[in-house]
Amino acid sequence: MAYAYLFKYIIIGDTGVGKSCLLLQFTDKRFQPVHDLTIGVEFGARMITIDGKQIKLQIWDTAGQEAFRSITRSYYRGAAGALLVYDITRRDTFNHLTTWLEDARQHSNSNMVIMLIGNKSDLESRREVKKEEGEAFAREHGLVFMETSAKTAANVEEAFINTAKEIYEKIQEGVFDINNEANGIKIGPQHSTGGGASGAGGAGAGAAGGGCC
Amino acid sequence: MDFLKSGLKTVLGAPEPGHHPSGAETVERLVERVNNSTLLEDRRDACRALKAMSRTYRVEVGAQGMDTLKQVLELDRADSETINHALNTLNNVMSPSQFEEEEENPQVPMNIGEQFTEMFIKDHNNVQLILDLLDEYDFRVRLSAVQLLTSLLTNRPKDMQEIILVKPMGVSKMMDLLSDNREVIRNETLLLLIKLTKGNANIQKIVAFENAFDRLFEIVSSEGFSDGGIIVEDCLLLMLNLLKNNSSNINFFKEGSYIQRMLPMFNTPEENEDAGWSPQKVSNVHCMLHIVRTLVSPCNSVQIVSDCQRILKNAGLLDSLCNILMASGVPADILTETINTVGEVVRGNVGNQEFVGNVMAPSNPPRPAIVVLLMSMVNEKQPFSLRCAVLYCFQCYLYHNEMSQANLVQTLLPSSTDVSNLTSGQLLCGGLFSSDVLSNWFSAVALMHALIDNPIQKEQLLRVLLATNIGSSPVSLLHQCTLLLQQTTKLQSKVALLMLLSQWTARCAGAVTGFLRAPSAVAYLVNQTCSNDHDDNEYLLQGLSAFLLAICIHFNDDSVENYSRESLKQLVVRRVGMETFVAKLSEVSRHELYNKAAKHPQLRAKAPAEVLIDYEFCRLFKVLEKPDGEGGEWRRGSGWGWGRGDGCGAGWGGAALEQYKALIRQQDARLQELVAQLDDMLQQNHALQVALNDSKSSNSLLKDENTLLKAQVSAAHGHSIEAHDKSQYEAKINQLTAEINRLNEILKTTQEEKQKQEVELEKLKNDQDDLLILLSDLDLKVNDYKSRLVSLGEKVEDDNTEVQESNLT
Repeated sequence: MAYAYLFKYIIIGDTGVGKSCLLLQFTDKRFQPVHDLTIGVEFGARMITIDGKQIKLQIWDTAGQEAFRSITRSYYRGAAGALLVYDITRRDTFNHLTTWLEDARQHSNSNMVIMLIGNKSDLESRREVKKEEGEAFAREHGLVFMETSAKTAANVEEAFINTAKEIYEKIQEGVFDINNEANGIKIGPQHSTGGGASGAGGAGAGAAGGGCC
Repeated sequence: MDFLKSGLKTVLGAPEPGHHPSGAETVERLVERVNNSTLLEDRRDACRALKAMSRTYRVEVGAQGMDTLKQVLELDRADSETINHALNTLNNVMSPSQFEEEEENPQVPMNIGEQFTEMFIKDHNNVQLILDLLDEYDFRVRLSAVQLLTSLLTNRPKDMQEIILVKPMGVSKMMDLLSDNREVIRNETLLLLIKLTKGNANIQKIVAFENAFDRLFEIVSSEGFSDGGIIVEDCLLLMLNLLKNNSSNINFFKEGSYIQRMLPMFNTPEENEDAGWSPQKVSNVHCMLHIVRTLVSPCNSVQIVSDCQRILKNAGLLDSLCNILMASGVPADILTETINTVGEVVRGNVGNQEFVGNVMAPSNPPRPAIVVLLMSMVNEKQPFSLRCAVLYCFQCYLYHNEMSQANLVQTLLPSSTDVSNLTSGQLLCGGLFSSDVLSNWFSAVALMHALIDNPIQKEQLLRVLLATNIGSSPVSLLHQCTLLLQQTTKLQSKVALLMLLSQWTARCAGAVTGFLRAPSAVAYLVNQTCSNDHDDNEYLLQGLSAFLLAICIHFNDDSVENYSRESLKQLVVRRVGMETFVAKLSEVSRHELYNKAAKHPQLRAKAPAEVLIDYEFCRLFKVLEKPDGEGGEWRRGSGWGWGRGDGCGAGWGGAALEQYKALIRQQDARLQELVAQLDDMLQQNHALQVALNDSKSSNSLLKDENTLLKAQVSAAHGHSIEAHDKSQYEAKINQLTAEINRLNEILKTTQEEKQKQEVELEKLKNDQDDLLILLSDLDLKVNDYKSRLVSLGEKVEDDNTEVQESNLT
């Protein structure tokens, strides 16, 4: 299936906040309680629909460990959107947000859409960071905010799709230069590709997307 | 050189007369000049001179000038010419290759470039310095910086990769250069990226993230795909680096629909067939095939492989590959690699296997491509690597596919009627008993792959009979293999047959029975196992014989009287001894070629002598040999408990377990029997159907003939005796037909007449009735008149009335 646009995302944040689980929930619609530590960067993809248009999301899930920080920096520049994730049950992951944001702002293109995500909202009893605090931080830094649970899948779709909507709006407003692929946006092959080729591509994407389209 | 000298003069001033400065001295003075000169021009000239000397006096320039040159890179960034000279000088000093100038000079150590590189990159800022220079737009600076980085990466790949990885934007900067519209820079960058990405997954991922595949496909297509020059090859090599052992990138490649973009690479235009393949094209196609194989390599996860296989087929790539397979004029090594590639694209994917199974070769008569390939496999004259590739492809075709396994065995069974067509089964049987030892090996292994995890086919294959000599009764394939095993003197044939028999008899009591019944089979195996020759290959043979013997004991259902499980075990204990037996068994996995084969499904033999053990056999061996293999099959250690009935219950679950196992085995056998019966029935049904069809068609054929003859007869009446005869019959038939017609006619008219008469009869009856009624009326009237007459006193005779009354009744 051909897509109208392709967006590149990265997921960043401290180690253990649930970045890989968010991606797995979004692409495969499943939750894996025990997840191996991400080494470097892992890739995932899914197709979504916004405004009646097929949009392909390519998502790079980065390692949160400090040791990989320099590697993950290489991914900022080419991404159109970033999911900055913290764990609502661990105050320190919230405290580190400023560092992450500085890093991101420094290495990314200025138009990158950043979505702030407080993950593990299912663990209400162990909550250390209030929802209001997350909202305040987002307001202060001009981010979109959402609390999610990779375990129950609450708000996971929304987090990825709202980010895409934001990017899509920016394209409509002409903020993004869509012809520069370094921005992490690509225009789809549209009518140029042969039917067979695009059909097969769609099949591949469909499988990975867990039947979203 | 004159120019150089004059250049040196201007820089250094006129030399003192009578004193010829040594190279080292000159270098020293030049370095000083670069360090101390306030004028940019002087520093630039000195750099140029240093560059000129750096090839001949590499050690001196490197030892004295390194720091100074670094300084130049930092401070004189504004002057691109100076920078360029400095970069070139550094590149010369750290060049991985030896210069012509220093060939005569024994003082220069071989790895001098590497030593200087080590010094240079010790300070990571130096690398950053070069990376920063990539931002310069000046052609020469950019080019020299790229070349210098390439040299550094060549000398110290691992260190450089780690350094560049942690430099923010390090990889990104290089990727940007791939879009440089100056081709020289783009091409040099390709070389740089190939070195950079080699074996480093993190860098590979970043490069892929930076749209490398898009860029590379653009370049490949602009250069004319497989017909393009070495740049195409470079692009493909880089892609290969990015994908090799990198599942994240393979995933990205597949999700990004890049597989579909490979299609035009495999579309080889027809007109090139005559022109032959240029060496460059051969290299390009080789790389392309490698990329495909990287995607579907058996080393990848099953998910990735099956996804890629599906996309490759849907995108039409499998089709293109098969076209190459069947095209003429394809160089042998490309053909070989294509066969391997097709194999891996279909391996374990039923849809793709079916697709390949249906490909027909453009031969006369048309034959299935698989059969044509197998013909090459059992043909001594074909190149060795090609024959290996066909075997691998065929193994992939059979892998996890009960249908294709069954189809192969089916071609050997007596029920298949068409004798004229060459079938894969016949080819393999031919190969099995040919005088070419490689054909023996290939065929035995191919046949063995039809039996893997397929108990039905093991039973089916037992039914195969061979007509060895005219007049003598047919011999079963199993017996023939056993016979051949005893007769052949060639190691490879022996090993191949032992592997085939092991696979066949494993988990198949029927085959064990068949084998034990073969004349002198057991005696041969025991002798082999006992043999005392000291040689790796002999050890292997002894081990394999022991293995087959062990299978015969383990999967024995006691149906052969002399060789029941117990008696076989006694035989082994008596003749070989338990210790020795176990030791011999373990010899198999010690063989060098066993370990080589166990690593990868594809046979990776460089020479015919390395062909000995098959991957799937290794798997069988491992599973059965494992101490706690499935169901605790065989146990090592105390006396090797593979004799299950001996009541030493400690290692085994006791008699109950035994009973259940026996029951299961019985049921299993029963099931297999029934399945075989069903198969037979189906075949019979099929045969009957065929016979029916045959007779139908022959019937219509005869009819046609008949009409034809009729026509001929009427055309040429009485020209020959036969025609005469025919015409006679014909006439008779005509006569008879006419007769029948006539009779029919008569019958018809008679019937019609009869009907008419019936109608008439009816009418008459009616008339008669009417008349009778009339008569009775009249009678009544007469009576009436009579009575009137009587009442009037007249005398009337009664006779008449009575007669009338009797008539009426």
